[in-house]
Amino acid sequence: MTEPSSSSHQEIFQESPSASPSEDATIAPRMKSKDLPELDEAQPPEYTIMDEFQSLTPLREYQMDEQALLAESIPDRPLIGPLVPLAMLREEYERGSQGFVRQIDWLMSHGHIGIRRTKGDGDCFYRSLAFAYCERIMHAPDAELAVMSAISSIEATPALLEAAGFQPLVFEDFYEMFLSLVRKILAPDENGKVLTPAALLGAFNDPETSNSIVVYLRMLTSAQIRSDPDISNFLLSPETAEFVEPRVFCEHFVEAMGKEADHPQMQALAQALRVHVSVAYLDGHSSGQNGDEVTFVHLDKAVGTVPGAEPVMLLYRPGHYDILDTRSEDPMDYYT
Amino acid sequence: MDARLRRVNKEIADCKNDKTSHISIDLVDNSPFHLRGSFDGPEGTPYEGGRFEVDIVIPESYPFQPVKMRFLTRVYHPNVSSASGAICLDILKDAWSPVLTLKSTLISLQSLLCSPEPRDPQDAEVAKHYMTSKESFEETARYWTQIYAGGPGKDGKGVVQKGGAKDEIAMAGLNKAHVDQFEALGFDRSKVIDVLRRMNYRGANIANINDDRVVEELLK
Repeated sequence: MTEPSSSSHQEIFQESPSASPSEDATIAPRMKSKDLPELDEAQPPEYTIMDEFQSLTPLREYQMDEQALLAESIPDRPLIGPLVPLAMLREEYERGSQGFVRQIDWLMSHGHIGIRRTKGDGDCFYRSLAFAYCERIMHAPDAELAVMSAISSIEATPALLEAAGFQPLVFEDFYEMFLSLVRKILAPDENGKVLTPAALLGAFNDPETSNSIVVYLRMLTSAQIRSDPDISNFLLSPETAEFVEPRVFCEHFVEAMGKEADHPQMQALAQALRVHVSVAYLDGHSSGQNGDEVTFVHLDKAVGTVPGAEPVMLLYRPGHYDILDTRSEDPMDYYT
Repeated sequence: MDARLRRVNKEIADCKNDKTSHISIDLVDNSPFHLRGSFDGPEGTPYEGGRFEVDIVIPESYPFQPVKMRFLTRVYHPNVSSASGAICLDILKDAWSPVLTLKSTLISLQSLLCSPEPRDPQDAEVAKHYMTSKESFEETARYWTQIYAGGPGKDGKGVVQKGGAKDEIAMAGLNKAHVDQFEALGFDRSKVIDVLRRMNYRGANIANINDDRVVEELLK
């Protein structure tokens, strides 16, 4: 018996080698030269590739996604990759910055042994958060409660968007896409199938579904920022480092695709989705007194979260977000 | 139904239901992905009284990708190519967001007519004209509005009026006395207009251009 989304599992499997360090290393020298002069030369190639992707315009990114959709044979980094051991990331840094290596060791020794890598297209924070959010609901000890609570949080968001001045016609399709995906975690679809972990990964690698959810989260972030004086009174332009009006900030640095998220966006989205988010900051510099500690930023001010729920864990390296995990690979039966 | 089609249909309906903005969107060749939008020139600007038409193409991955727009009606404006109608506006490029719609984008074009950004020009010659003499620029823009966008009292409806007598000197935003002066030296009138326009022979800038340089250009 074949699952409806089996073809996309295939595709993910076939694409995953493109995310391997050896392949990256072969592309890296070509991409490294022109961007980010401030980068430490000793850093591994992987890092610069991601930043190179971020320097592409959103338009170009979507053209690339579209090409990948049309011709599956074109190798491209998946929007969200399979779970891999964090040790793989460590290998990439071994010849580079030892600060990163020590921080990765620290994370592994504290149980964070897996990473799910995301495409460095400027949407990585939103995409990572959305995926980790759905996965966390799926694996919750009481999945039914987690789904119901998520649905009630999501169903409260259109009112927030309308209050912020968004016309329903600009967000309702994206909203439906997001809500129906979360619903499918427990409720069977028309074919009697509930969302499997592999189908979730498949959905997040389908550009239309994935980008619709990213767009919805961007709008939600914008609406939350505009309505929350604790955030909107302290917005700095990432370009000029001067105070900017919430409207300008949201239009330029939140709603536009491909614009990276910073603290205000993260804070706002955690609040709007009623989820706690913890971000491990991997910066290559020791911050703690005992040397190799990794700083976690906890976005845990959200109200209305499920009591005792685990936070969504993300891994930040300058300019990029991935998903951090306490498992180092997907279960054996993941793709079956 | 295809998500793009669903979205575009909603946007077209939204525009039709809005009687206050005077923005219209029509299908070209019965395709919902190739449209023609039009809006009124904003009041209190040289574009007042004109009706401006815009060619709209909805790309494959709309609304993730920006809509493509260019002016069909010729417009004299620093951020619009006077030849092709190409528009320089951030939301049509990297500042695009799926929260924008056909209607809100057309309203943004209308606002662009109110507030030119000559420091980020699409048409460098028009931008220079604007920077040199705003008054002379506005006079030219007003004349273009009358000729191409159907000013008050005319039923042009934004269609180029062929055969109508156009004042080429006014079209180029030049002074008749200046054109006459060089034409009197034996140069072809249209060549004089072309050279003076390119050299931005207007207002205070005239002091920076000596006659010999103009003649040199005319002889090229």
